Amino acid sequence: MSSTANTPTNDRQTNGKPPIVIETRGLKKTYVGKINVPVLFGLDIEIRAREFVAIVGQSGSGKSTLLNILGALDVPTEGTVLVNGIDISTLDEDGLARLRSDQVGFIFQAHYLLDEFTCLENALMPITIRHGEASDEDRERVLKLLERVGLGDQTNKHPDEMSGGQNQRCAIVRALANQPKIVLADEPTGNLDSRSGAEVFEMMREMNRLSGVAFVMITHDDRLAQAADRILLIEDGKIAEITKDEHKRKADRPTPAELNEPSI
Amino acid sequence: MKPFGDIVISALVPKAYRFEFRLALRHLLSGGLQTVLTVSAVATGVIIVIFITSLIFGLQNMMSVLLTESIPHVTVQVEDPKPKTLDTVENPVSSRIEVSASRLKFIDNWNEVVTMLRGLPNVSDVAAVVNGQGFASKGANPIGVSVVGADPELLDVITPITRDLVSGRYKSLNSDEIVIDTELAKDLNVTVGERIRLTSSSNQADSFTIAGIYNRGQGRGSAYVTLRNAQSLFGLGTSVNIIYIKANDIYAVDELANTIMALTRYEARPWTRDYSRNLTNMQMMGVSAYLISAFSLIASAFAIASVLIVSVLQKSTQIGILKSMGARQSQISTVFVFQGLGVAIIGSSVGAVVGTLIAYLISLPTRAAVAGQEPLALFPVKIIPLYIGLAMLAAIITTVIAAVMPARRAAKLNPVDVMR
Repeated sequence: MSSTANTPTNDRQTNGKPPIVIETRGLKKTYVGKINVPVLFGLDIEIRAREFVAIVGQSGSGKSTLLNILGALDVPTEGTVLVNGIDISTLDEDGLARLRSDQVGFIFQAHYLLDEFTCLENALMPITIRHGEASDEDRERVLKLLERVGLGDQTNKHPDEMSGGQNQRCAIVRALANQPKIVLADEPTGNLDSRSGAEVFEMMREMNRLSGVAFVMITHDDRLAQAADRILLIEDGKIAEITKDEHKRKADRPTPAELNEPSI
Repeated sequence: MKPFGDIVISALVPKAYRFEFRLALRHLLSGGLQTVLTVSAVATGVIIVIFITSLIFGLQNMMSVLLTESIPHVTVQVEDPKPKTLDTVENPVSSRIEVSASRLKFIDNWNEVVTMLRGLPNVSDVAAVVNGQGFASKGANPIGVSVVGADPELLDVITPITRDLVSGRYKSLNSDEIVIDTELAKDLNVTVGERIRLTSSSNQADSFTIAGIYNRGQGRGSAYVTLRNAQSLFGLGTSVNIIYIKANDIYAVDELANTIMALTRYEARPWTRDYSRNLTNMQMMGVSAYLISAFSLIASAFAIASVLIVSVLQKSTQIGILKSMGARQSQISTVFVFQGLGVAIIGSSVGAVVGTLIAYLISLPTRAAVAGQEPLALFPVKIIPLYIGLAMLAAIITTVIAAVMPARRAAKLNPVDVMR
């Protein structure tokens, strides 16, 4: 295993469609402990460049586990994961770190900006980690992105001086700083009010359209899922693509919890 | 335009370590009480080391000065003959070997020996001396006394007498004059200008005028006369029986004595042989200074490691997000090692300044113990710049070692676990 394996072989364009940026074959994950807990049961997924994919499912269905594996933060128990053509099982610790740096951007439910740094410094952080220092060109590019998400006048503020929505927008720019192939977002609007959440989602959508970077977003918000290009449903550790109509029908159906609620 | 801080970092820190350096610096600057605590722990360790070494080596220095300033550092004399069995007797059997009684033994060629000794390394001053036992009396009641005869100018350098004079003088001693200590003066009930009678162990006697009375505060001392008077009293003619040497380095006298014995037929006794217990005590003081220093540095290292471990726990989410952005394990551990290094450099610098200041302050004279005398220092402190540097270096090394364990722990954190 070597970090040199962390070089994309090619952009795999098939049948005139955009290239595949993430591909899984027979992906399984079992948490090993006193009791082994299987979470994912042989998932096959393809995510292409410029796609905006929503992953939906009940809490505990394995959505975050899948996202962590797609972003090389975790490893599958079985199966293959190719990120931009690179098999993550061939990479050592440094190779995985380099893959995360070069190919993947993360957005979490919490913004996880570093309190000690300004908005601009946070947004430049992936570049600083990768190269030690951001070049003038990188700085200009990230500044333009910050302006694009409405943070042009907030660049020198620290996270505690900005609103939750502003921090999350800064986190979006940070995820795009290294010009990754894919951005993985784990309930990015989960901590925001509906208005800020809608703004943040719009920003992600705009970035997706502008940069062509694929976005994979876990969400419990049905309206946001409906606004994605595709919807993947994880249920009982298995994944299936569903149409927006199917998703709407599932969303309108009362949940078991709602059925048990006494009528007023 | 880049911020000024970034320009400074760019100029000073290699590009490969700028991320780690910048993050460690921000951790320290935003650390508040934690940073103050860790810096204080290092500073306290260094202060203790500087304070303890200054104090103990100051005491050691004072003790060695008190012990050796009034004694010759090496004495050269004729060796006492070893008792032997008679080899003419067949199968000699001896149940008891008698050591012959002590006698004054002449160093006939003392002028040559003194000239040769003056040329040796580590020799500061040399004086030819006649030393023997006698009785001092004024009227009745003779009192035993050690008699030392030498050139007053030379002897005053090796075993200072003028400095301890209570009255009168020692230098320019005339042939019929004597200098005695206060104990003898008290026992004989005499003062400067009065005459006493001195009878040697060779039963020669002469009368002397008391030219000076001294007090070293070390019990009964010798009576000092001129070399010629002592030679006459002990019947040595123009010979002497002992040569006093003052050395430049009082701890290198064993080598000097060995050299003298290799070059002459005489026995050379370093002061360390006669005062071995005092020497051991002083060496123990030095060892205790090192031990206290080591323990205080280890204690501060534990304190630093504890605070850094807490810091790692507090920053675990941050470590997770940094890893998600591509930070390698080595980068994460370097951040915390840099953090420890920063604490070590700041702490040891503060400790060096404060420790030296405290050592200096307690070395300042307070008030004169006796009116008219030189004021005494509160503590006999000896500030050694080398030890300050070594204390800083030891603190930096200890702190960085203490930072390694938390740093490795940080590097191994699983981002999925810490962000869950």
